[in-house]
Amino acid sequence: METALVLNSFMLLTLLILFTPIILPPLLNIQNTPQSIPKTIKTAFLISLIPTIIFLHSEMESITTYWEWQLTQNFKIPIYLKMDLYSMTFFPIALFVTWSILEFSTWYMAWEPFISKFFTFLLIFLIAMLTLPIANNMFLLFIGWEGVGIMSFLLIGWWQGRAEANTAALQAMIYNRIGDICLILSMAWLASTLNSWEIQQTIQPNQTPILPLLGLILAATGKSAQFGLHPWLPGAMEGPTPVSALLHSSTMVVAAIFLLIRTHPILSSNKLALTTCLCLGALSTLFAATCAFTQNDIKKIIAFSTSSQLGLMMVTIGLDLPQLAFLHISTHAFFKAMLFLCSGLIIHGLNGEQDIRKMGCLQKTLPMTTSYLTISNLALMGTPFLAGFYSKDPIIENLNTSYINTWALLLTLLATSFTATYSLRMTLLVQTGHTRSPTITPINENTSSAILPIIRLAFGSIMAGLLISSLILPTKTPPMTMPAITKTAAIIVTILGIILALELSNMTHTLTPPKQNPLMNFSSSLSYFNPLTHRTNPTILLHSGQKIATHLTDMAWYKKMGPEGLANLHLIMSKTLTTLHTGLIKSYLGSFTLTILIMILMTPK
Amino acid sequence: MSPLHFSFYSAFTFSCLGLAFHRTHLISALLCLESMMLSMFIPLSMWPLENQTPSFTLVPILMLAFSACEAGAGLATLVASTRTHGSDHLHNLNLLQC
Repeated sequence: METALVLNSFMLLTLLILFTPIILPPLLNIQNTPQSIPKTIKTAFLISLIPTIIFLHSEMESITTYWEWQLTQNFKIPIYLKMDLYSMTFFPIALFVTWSILEFSTWYMAWEPFISKFFTFLLIFLIAMLTLPIANNMFLLFIGWEGVGIMSFLLIGWWQGRAEANTAALQAMIYNRIGDICLILSMAWLASTLNSWEIQQTIQPNQTPILPLLGLILAATGKSAQFGLHPWLPGAMEGPTPVSALLHSSTMVVAAIFLLIRTHPILSSNKLALTTCLCLGALSTLFAATCAFTQNDIKKIIAFSTSSQLGLMMVTIGLDLPQLAFLHISTHAFFKAMLFLCSGLIIHGLNGEQDIRKMGCLQKTLPMTTSYLTISNLALMGTPFLAGFYSKDPIIENLNTSYINTWALLLTLLATSFTATYSLRMTLLVQTGHTRSPTITPINENTSSAILPIIRLAFGSIMAGLLISSLILPTKTPPMTMPAITKTAAIIVTILGIILALELSNMTHTLTPPKQNPLMNFSSSLSYFNPLTHRTNPTILLHSGQKIATHLTDMAWYKKMGPEGLANLHLIMSKTLTTLHTGLIKSYLGSFTLTILIMILMTPK
Repeated sequence: MSPLHFSFYSAFTFSCLGLAFHRTHLISALLCLESMMLSMFIPLSMWPLENQTPSFTLVPILMLAFSACEAGAGLATLVASTRTHGSDHLHNLNLLQC
């Protein structure tokens, strides 16, 4: 059978199946039910496994073009789909995670009156997200980029009666917009200089100028919450837990890393761009890990953990290892989504309690959930042979054996140990110890639609790393030989982090409140970034805008230079001359002295 | 400058200064005006006598006529001021003062 035909047809069939709940209800006059949309996604997942298996079996990739949009005579934008390793591996993973999350949402959002609309929003988000990896030109990628941004805005502000949710959605939109403008900058540069928006045509033998690459890196900073444009990600936890699980852990925030993976041929030629990625990623990962220490909201801890792993992905891009970054994206999706779903179960079980200081000893009351929470935390920490190990350990090994910035290396190692510390802190406070929650709580993990998705994701968390890394051929040689301490560096710093967490937890068993010190203040207020920047930057921008638009143009050019200025001049003159017109006859007579003086002076000798 | 020339010159100057600095009564200003006229009339009438130019003898007569008009106008102002304000003090002429 024609493998190319089968490949393309099944990929398009996957996308078509995802479109049906949006297109068919208006046409056939039926309604979407909360059960129909997860079934659609399950079908799409199963169909999308077929192209993936074809690819894994025969290494076949394909590019498809449909219907050109002719902007100018020599600039054509087709619908250009690329089915290669990245898109064909990402499709089943994203669909699997989304299927699990949607099935969980049927239990989590069961009391929600607009649940069909919620599922439709998630479906539109998924379509936009899947457009991103399959795009071969920047135009389609931009469509997917903007789509996920819009749906993120709508979904964070889902409970729109809540002021904090609206503020958080607006904040997410503004920070994403800054990144979008930089992406448009890169696209404009590509269109004007290289006359193409296709990634294959942008590869140059010599070094690409830094401007478009800086645009791409800044776009990634905005979308994936690297340090500098990061405050929106903790705020995005205002949305419902399924939204946090889907968007802000598995899929949307990795869109930025995907962009950098797709454009890595032009990135890798410029050493400055790579070093920027490296240092930015190292800073982000350490910053987020530091902030996760003093958070007390379980969802915010997981959000900062996501931010830290995104920094790690950026570090991998900076090491010029796009395939390893993609592997980390794939494995990270599983255990992060599982973390969010378990926390969602806990939150609903404690009747809306999200503060870990008010949870404890859940291991006895929610044994399954807490076991899966432990599995995902271990996978996050990079425990050997769970999913996270197959992606995190090679990253640390490559870091240690590459010729790079030592500061970036130190920061990343420190962040790895911090990952272990805050994960263990969360585990200890939530699962062990004495109960700190109210006595009667609706704790329940018997609903199959709630716990089955988590079990599926647990299978993924354990086996995905092994499966993906053994089935995919590496494009770059991994480092094979290194000293023993370098090989075990990741596991050693993780164990050090665990020991630190255990020591610290011993100190918190007394009831004395912790004393405030500058370090704790630094960590809990997220290094003062929000209060410092959220007032000054808009004030400066708006003031300079006011100066130019209102003061300069309106008041200076139109008024002062024109009528009002002239009137002012006349006023000054008339006020000066009025003092001369006093109407005093005596003074006027005195002016005859002047005549005499002139007469005397002008008499000829 | 010859003494005669100087005396006419200084008479005119002093009369003008008197016009400028008399601050109390309008009539003293008018008197100074008259003395200015006198100090101009006498040299003007001596000019044709000295230079033997009979055609120039019209000039002092013209000047006299105009000064008479002017003196009449000044006296009319004086009488009007005395009729309305009761005296001829100069500070009564303050209609233009703001």
